[in-house]
Formats: sequence, C-alpha cells, structure tokens
Amino acid sequence: MMYEHFDNTVKGIKDKLSQDPSGINARKKYVLELSRLGRKLYTKNETIAWCGVTAPFDLLSSMGVTSCFVEFVGAMLASTQTAGFFFEDAEDAGFATDSCAYHRAVMGAVLKNAMPEPDFIIGTSSPCTAGLAVMENFANQYKKDFFILNVPQNYSKDAIRFLSNQIEELTHFVSAHTKEPLSKEKLGMALENFNQSSKLLRDIYDLAKTKPSPVDNRLLRDFGVVMTLLMGTREGIDICQAFKDELNQRIKTSRHHASKEKTRLMWIQNRIQYPFPMDKMLDDLGAKIVIDELNTVTWEPMDPDNPFESIAKRMISIPFSMDTSKRIKNMQTLALDYQIDGAINPCHWGCRQGTGARGLVSKGMRDIDIPVLNLEIDCVDSRNLARGQIETRVEAFMEMLS
Amino acid sequence: MNKKIGFTCAYTPVPLIEAAGFFPYRILPETKAPDQAGHLLHDNLCPHVKKVLDRALENDLPDLEGMVFINSCDTMRRLADAWQVARPDDKIILIDLPSGMNRLSLDFLSKEYERLSRTLFKWNDQTLEPEIISEKIKEKIFQWNLLADSIKKIEEKMTNDFFPGYASGLQQIINTAATESIDQALAMAKSKIEPENPCKSLTAPVFVFGNLLFDPKVYDLFEEWNVQVVGTDFCTSSRFVTRIQTGPDDNIFRSLAHSYLKQTPCARTMDTTIPGSIAQRIVERAKKSNAKGVIGFTLKFCDPYLARIPMIRQALQKESIPFLMLEGDCTEGSMGQQQTRIEAFTEMLEV
Ligand code: SF4
Ligand code: SF4
Repeated sequence: MMYEHFDNTVKGIKDKLSQDPSGINARKKYVLELSRLGRKLYTKNETIAWCGVTAPFDLLSSMGVTSCFVEFVGAMLASTQTAGFFFEDAEDAGFATDSCAYHRAVMGAVLKNAMPEPDFIIGTSSPCTAGLAVMENFANQYKKDFFILNVPQNYSKDAIRFLSNQIEELTHFVSAHTKEPLSKEKLGMALENFNQSSKLLRDIYDLAKTKPSPVDNRLLRDFGVVMTLLMGTREGIDICQAFKDELNQRIKTSRHHASKEKTRLMWIQNRIQYPFPMDKMLDDLGAKIVIDELNTVTWEPMDPDNPFESIAKRMISIPFSMDTSKRIKNMQTLALDYQIDGAINPCHWGCRQGTGARGLVSKGMRDIDIPVLNLEIDCVDSRNLARGQIETRVEAFMEMLS
Repeated sequence: MNKKIGFTCAYTPVPLIEAAGFFPYRILPETKAPDQAGHLLHDNLCPHVKKVLDRALENDLPDLEGMVFINSCDTMRRLADAWQVARPDDKIILIDLPSGMNRLSLDFLSKEYERLSRTLFKWNDQTLEPEIISEKIKEKIFQWNLLADSIKKIEEKMTNDFFPGYASGLQQIINTAATESIDQALAMAKSKIEPENPCKSLTAPVFVFGNLLFDPKVYDLFEEWNVQVVGTDFCTSSRFVTRIQTGPDDNIFRSLAHSYLKQTPCARTMDTTIPGSIAQRIVERAKKSNAKGVIGFTLKFCDPYLARIPMIRQALQKESIPFLMLEGDCTEGSMGQQQTRIEAFTEMLEV
C-alpha cells in the first residue's frame, strides 16, 4: 500500500515534469525526492534501517543504507488517512491510547506487516523516550540487531566525546551488516553536501524573515526535520537551491501573498499531519506561519576531518535535545528575528518531550510579549478531533492579535 | 546540621550524597498540595513528576541544599526544567543517563557520577584529595551494601513464606533509606529482619512490578485482598537499594556505573543485544519467586513502562503466567479503586 502511494506520487510528479520541465516548484521537487526515498524503503534488495528522528542520515546514506525515522511513516499514514486502520491494531496489542500517535500508527503498521522489514534498527534517545521505546519494540518484533545513540542533554566535552564515540561505533555496526567498510571519501562527500545544504537552509530561513514574508502557510511545513533525511545527498542540495530560488523569485515578483500578511506566526514543533484545513483557515484570516520552530540551523559546519565529533555536536545542538530553557531562548530569538505577532503550539497529545513543556514555553514567550495559542490536539490521530472548537479558538486568537 | 539533598530517581547513588556530608531526600509523589503542575508543564505527564512538582510549587518540602535530577526520561527532563522556574534559587545538577549498557555507556555514566560527586562536595564547601573522597564513598558504599544484603534476606524470606505485615515493613525500610539515612534504614532492617508475626499461608503468591509503589499501606491492602507479594520490581522497592559491586582496585565511579546500569535496569534502560529483555526479566523473576501470577502497576502517561507492556504481556502469556495490568496514580486511593479487579485476579489464581 505504501509502496503504491510513493510510486504513484513519483510517477505523477515525473509526468508533470515531462510535460512542463519548468513548471515544477520547489515543494514538488522535495515531495518527489521524499517519495523516491519512501519507494526505496519499500523496495527489496535495499539495506534498510529504521531509525530514531535524530539519527545521522548523512552518515548512513554515505554507507549505502536507506534509512528513515519511523515517525515519517506515522506522518504519511496520517496524511493519507490510513493511520486509523493501524491505531486499532496497536491499541489491541496493548499500546496505550495516551501514547504518541506517530508511534502508535507505525507500531500498528508493524503488527499488520505493513512496514518493510529492516536490516537493522538505530534508536536515538533524542527527541524522546517514547521513540526509543518504540525502536526497542521494532527490534523485538523483527528480531533484528539494535543500536542506540544516546544523545546527552549537557553540552560538555565528555558528552560530545561520548556521542562521537558512539557514532564511530555505529559505523562498525553498520559495516558489519553491509559488509562494506566506511569510506572516508564518501563520508567526506556526504558531509560536504550537508554543509552546502545547511548554507542554503540558512539562506532560505533568512529569506523567510523578509517582511512581508515570501513563504506561505504550506511551503516550509515540517521542513527542517524532514530535510535531514536528504541533506547528505546531491538531491538535498538541489532541493534547498530550488527553495532558495523560489523564495527569491517570489520576493522579486511580489508573488507572495504580501497583501494577506496581517499576522506573522510561529508554529511550535510539528504540524498537524492529517488533512485539516489549518493552512487555509490561517490564509483566510490573513495569518501567515513565517517560521516553524524546528526550521533552524543550530549547528556549525561539519568538519570532514573530524566527522564523528561534528555530527555529535550537531545532534546535541538541535532543539529536540535541548533543555527547555535553551529551547525557549532559541524560540525567543526566532520570534524576534522573524518579527512574529504570536505563536501556535499544537500540544500533540502523548508527547512528553515537546508538549510536556507547554506551560514553560507559554511563559517564555510571554516574557517577550508574544502570546501563544495552545491547541490541545493530536497531530496524528484525528479520531477525537474537536474541529469546531479548534477553529473557534484559532479565530479568537487571530482576532486578539489583530 | 541535617543538610538534605533532594532527588527523584532510583539511579541517584545515595552513597555519593552521604559521602559528601548530606542526607538523602527522595521526593516521593505524596502530597496534599493542590494539583498545579499541569500549568507549568502539561497534564499529560505521569503523576509521579506532577506530584513532585506540586510539592515544589507548594513548598511542601524540607529545606534542601540542592537537587539531583537524572535524565532518565522526557518527563524527568521536563521536571528539571520546571524546577528552575518553580524554585530558581535551588542548586541543581542534571545527570545524563545512557539507555544502553555497553562499554561506552559505562564509561560515560562513571564520569557523570564523578561529576555528581564533585558537585556535591562543592555544594558542601569541601575540597578534599581524590583519595580521601574515594575513601569516604567506599565507607558509605560499605554501609549501603549491608543494607542491600539485609533487604535481600528479607525478600528471600518473603518469597518462601508469608508473614503478615512483612512486605509493608520492608517498604518502610526502603523509604527510610530514601528519605532519612542509610544508617537509620540499616538499624530498621536489623530489627525487622526477624518477622514479628508468625508465618501464615496465603494462596495467591504474586509478583508485582512497575514504576512506583512506595506507600507501605498499599502492601497491607494487598494482604487484605489475599495477595501474597513474593517479589517486587519497582524503582521504589528493593531495586532502589542496588548492591554496589566493588573490587579493591576498582575505580569507585565505574563500580557505581556498572552496578546501577547492569544490576537494576528499569524500563528505560535496555540491553541492545536482547531487545525486550525487560519482559524476560519479569518472567524469570516471577518464576524464581514461585509467583502464580503477575500484577503490573504503572502510572498513567509513563512511556517507558507503557511501551513495554505489550512485550511483557506477550512473554507472560507464552509462559502461561496470568497477568493483571493496572494503571493509576501514586495514591493508596487509586489502588483502592482496583480492589475488585485484584480480588477477582487472586480468586482466579486460587482455583
Ligand atoms: S511528537 Fe513527541 S513523543 Fe511523538 S515522536 Fe515527536 S517528540 Fe516523540
Ligand atoms: S519513568 Fe515513568 S514514572 Fe518515572 S518519571 Fe518517567 S514517566 Fe514518570
């Protein structure tokens, strides 16, 4: 089922491309590459690794591994409205309804044999305890080798060394499965690609700061998190370049909804994954999400001579791994840089990591006079969605901001 | 002066606290403080952390010289974050705890425990030579291990026979070690090691596991409901009093790391070579204690445990060991609500 979904998307976009080579926008290119990755994940004869969100995908791709974080599949299942089918299996097997629905959806898919069997599994302690627990469940279910990357929260020398040693050990673990040693050259190239993509990401995010912003409510949704799947590759650079070009073009031609930008917003953590007309609602209210919290480059350039340490520092630097006070400082900086009027926090039910800090985040934003709308919503499981209530609250919030 | 260090997680080595001249104070989630933690964090967090935070917000705590947090799960991380806002003047340290048990994890945790020890001595304004610090820690570990041995003996007795009031007595000893001192707990253990009441027979020997069950009164309730607790695995039960294996030339912090990671893993710590090993461990412990059934008691919203329950359920089913899974908050009252289910379970075991 998922193979067909990804395959159809690839074919559809390629058809469009063949009819009109210049008509493909950045978002389509991005979806095309992600669908290709999705299709590869569901293809036999690939070396597949199911991973935690913060795994070093650049390193893994340089070692010939097709890898992805499982929450990506959870999000896909939600967006294609097939997740409901899998929740029940997970819940029948005893997975609590109070747990994160990204995980419940994929666990259901595992139990229903709807996930490709991996060659091995790489869990990461960041972003969340629940994610690591789910990776252990995967390993137990598939009886596959399991590796954990512990991402410490303290940014100390010992912590960096600990993580960098683990990453080095990961390369041995992967080699033992692929029967290929790590190629320093290939890793160097992946890191070089990563650096180029990071540079472009910074440019993209800088362009998004323009007032009025050239982004719209869809363009960069969940971009920062998902792009990490592609950033060590040539295609990743092309995608980033396409986004940058498109934003420049939008600014040049003023084709960027300038008139509709009454309110500038920040979206905190992830977007709602199932079809829900939030973007349209915000469009209608003249509100624009100019920044998603996780669309930010928090790392220094990767050093190909010191690859493991660079990757380790990167992993510790991202908002998922931060303590809340640092995360709030990061949000405050973004709020000021992007000149936002307010923020929306979809308090994804079941997320202790992000939603767990709801009150602290509200307080931190209040400290810089930015109101936050906390929406109690499950971003993946739409079964209990109180749609009317959400709409009313969003409308009231926008009214208050204006 | 009785200077206390607060802590919340069983991976906090009490001997380090006492060696630095402090008394331990585990903040148990028992309070009449109003329910307000959800405002600072969110309501979908485990009652353990929420109640501890309620205590902090309401100042329902003794004077504390500092707080030790362990990065054991997201909820604990968030508690450490909230603490800085709730009690900004408190000294705080957060120790990173690896989830795996391999060589690198052991090395790292031993450094973290060393950092903890350095910090605790600093908080007590003590600058001592490393050898002296090491000696002080060893002395405390010696006492701690005596306590661990006594607790083990009590547990063995509990496994073999049923002595009314014994399980709740054991919990009192453990709570004393967590909130008073090793010495006091040891004195209690010595006096309680011989059961006060003669051995009786109950017909429902049960192994109980989960995250927290610290209220001695709950064990009395179990007896009323005909449950003979023959073994426990909670982070507030004997697992908290981890025996620390040391050799004459061992690095003391390494010994601590080894003992805490390997000997007493809870649901958040895993052996990557045996994914789901917690399920096997529970099956083995249930069998070893001759339990006829297993009761799992976990707190609502606790990801580390709730995510492993399906594996545990499956493993117990495979061995045909009856399993009752209960979810609640940390109160005696919440256990009281489960009376009917527990009694029905024990009746089933007796058949
Ligand atoms: S939403 Fe929260 S709990 Fe779910 S995967 Fe993301 S960080 Fe983990
Ligand atoms: S392990 Fe479970 S009970 Fe303990 S703090 Fe974490 S979520 Fe709460």
